[in-house]
Amino acid sequence: MERTRAAADRDLKPAAEENRSAGGARALSADFLFRYVALAMALLVGATLVAVVAAIAYDSWPAIKVFGVWGFLKGRTWDPVSEHFGAFPFIVGTLVSSTIAMVLAVPLSFGIAVFISELAPSWMRQPVSSAIEMLASVPSIVYGLWGLLVFAPQFANVEPWINDHLGAIPGIGVLFRGPPMGIGMLAAGIVLAIMILPYITAIMRDVFVATPTRLKESAYAMGATTWEVARNILLPYTRTAVTGGIFLGLGRALGETMAVTFVIGNSDNLSASLLMPGASIPSVIANEFTEATSKLYVSSLIYLGLVLIGITLVVQTLAVLLLGTVGRGARARS
Amino acid sequence: MMPADAMPPVPGSASSADPPAKRGGAAIAADPPEPIVAKIAVRNLNFYYGKSRALKDISLEVPERRVTAFIGPSGCGKSTLLRTFNRMFELYHDQRAEGEVLLDGENILHSKTNVARIRSKIGMVFQKPTPFPMSIYDNIAFGIRLYEKLSRTELDARVEGCLRQAALWDEVKDKLTALGTSLSGGQQQRLCIARTIAVRPEVLLLDEPCSALDPISTAKIEELIYQLKSEYTVVIVTHNMQQAARASDYTAFMYLGELIEFDQTRRIFTAPRESRTEDYITGRFG
Repeated sequence: MERTRAAADRDLKPAAEENRSAGGARALSADFLFRYVALAMALLVGATLVAVVAAIAYDSWPAIKVFGVWGFLKGRTWDPVSEHFGAFPFIVGTLVSSTIAMVLAVPLSFGIAVFISELAPSWMRQPVSSAIEMLASVPSIVYGLWGLLVFAPQFANVEPWINDHLGAIPGIGVLFRGPPMGIGMLAAGIVLAIMILPYITAIMRDVFVATPTRLKESAYAMGATTWEVARNILLPYTRTAVTGGIFLGLGRALGETMAVTFVIGNSDNLSASLLMPGASIPSVIANEFTEATSKLYVSSLIYLGLVLIGITLVVQTLAVLLLGTVGRGARARS
Repeated sequence: MMPADAMPPVPGSASSADPPAKRGGAAIAADPPEPIVAKIAVRNLNFYYGKSRALKDISLEVPERRVTAFIGPSGCGKSTLLRTFNRMFELYHDQRAEGEVLLDGENILHSKTNVARIRSKIGMVFQKPTPFPMSIYDNIAFGIRLYEKLSRTELDARVEGCLRQAALWDEVKDKLTALGTSLSGGQQQRLCIARTIAVRPEVLLLDEPCSALDPISTAKIEELIYQLKSEYTVVIVTHNMQQAARASDYTAFMYLGELIEFDQTRRIFTAPRESRTEDYITGRFG
């Protein structure tokens, strides 16, 4: 018995050794290949970004030469007839509509995510999550149509109330005074909020659910309420990923074109009131690109696109700086 | 199962649970007939995970200012029993308890009992250390802030006191603003104990507090448990029989959701009445 076993071992050994070294070589070459394929893909993404920015910068060069950088950014007139172009009203429109969207969407998403992860009975979690996620699959043109044809007329009925109540508050009241038209900066912000809600909610929900049960339990065990657990445990623990989710939403809001174009009102006049129509960078490009006849006009619109990329990059950089850590958890988790 | 007056007498200073040397004259002087009071009384407790019954008619009384250990093989219900004491199971919709758990005569399980107040009286430390995602200082201050408004100096003093009581102060006093997660496993667990006693509970529930720790950290925690029992009623769930023998005054042996035997630790480990208890503690099963 002993001897047979030993003999069998001896017979098997060289074969096993051979197999192993063959496997080793195979693994090595596969690994090598995979590493460079993956590297190539990663580089391709970076190269595409650089190429896009370069192409846009090249096309906006005529406008950059005429208006300069600060002149364009601070210029308040957008006059195609006299060919005088300034981006300021659209930069403000983009930032204001996105800010409204964030102010509305972030707390709402937080509430929904806490509800799904902490409070909802288990049979409700999946349906609620799916419903929210389906918001993300609605095409933005549909949001635009809905915003213009359904939401805006209804919102016009609410605006007198906003005028009377929010408009009466000293200080911020000026933001809420204006004719009840339905469309305008506030309407655009609200539609944007609905559009970015699913992204922020999905990320918050995922990381809240992934927070170790024992961590939540130990806070509950101290007698903390669900709110205290969410505020003091969930949020700090998931800080990186939550910030990542918020900026993902902000990125969407800044660049959103169709829905905003439908409801923002498309006016290049600056107004303090959020009820007044405005325009964002994407909306003005979408509206005017087909009408742009002169070279400088086209170039100025492309220049606006460059500015938008710049804003997005600044926002992303701020996000990274805000986190202090270069997006470790956020990238990994989201 | 065991009315209060039938509660076995206090273990003598010579009990097998006593680590030598550490207990001075004080332990001997305090030991004889100080009356035993039941801090927590469990009566006919049944517990269900969905439809499966995890605890079967448990009745026992946890004596005040003593260390009571729950031992038994995995799945016997000892952690489940512990988690009824602070209504932790309520976080999960499919779990429910029937029967009574009385804290000083008040039924914890009654729906009108304020769960936050119960949890401020009954603190819990978990199997794995769970420092909150905040500084060492704030880990301790978190619980205090839930219940009390203290001035900065008062809060500082409370935090220091708790860390001293948990034998952690000397190790962390220079880095109170560092994250709780930056500590070692054993330190984290002592931080969790400090955090739990910061809200001045009356009962401490320890759910296998040493199972994730090395022997040195375990010894420190056991030493701490011994010191804490002068002020707190301690209930510890443990897989480690030596730990139960070393650290506890009373031991409950559970098996398949039933309480098999509950007695002084000394008796459980030297002369158990039930053969199943003897089989378990001698390592014949489990």
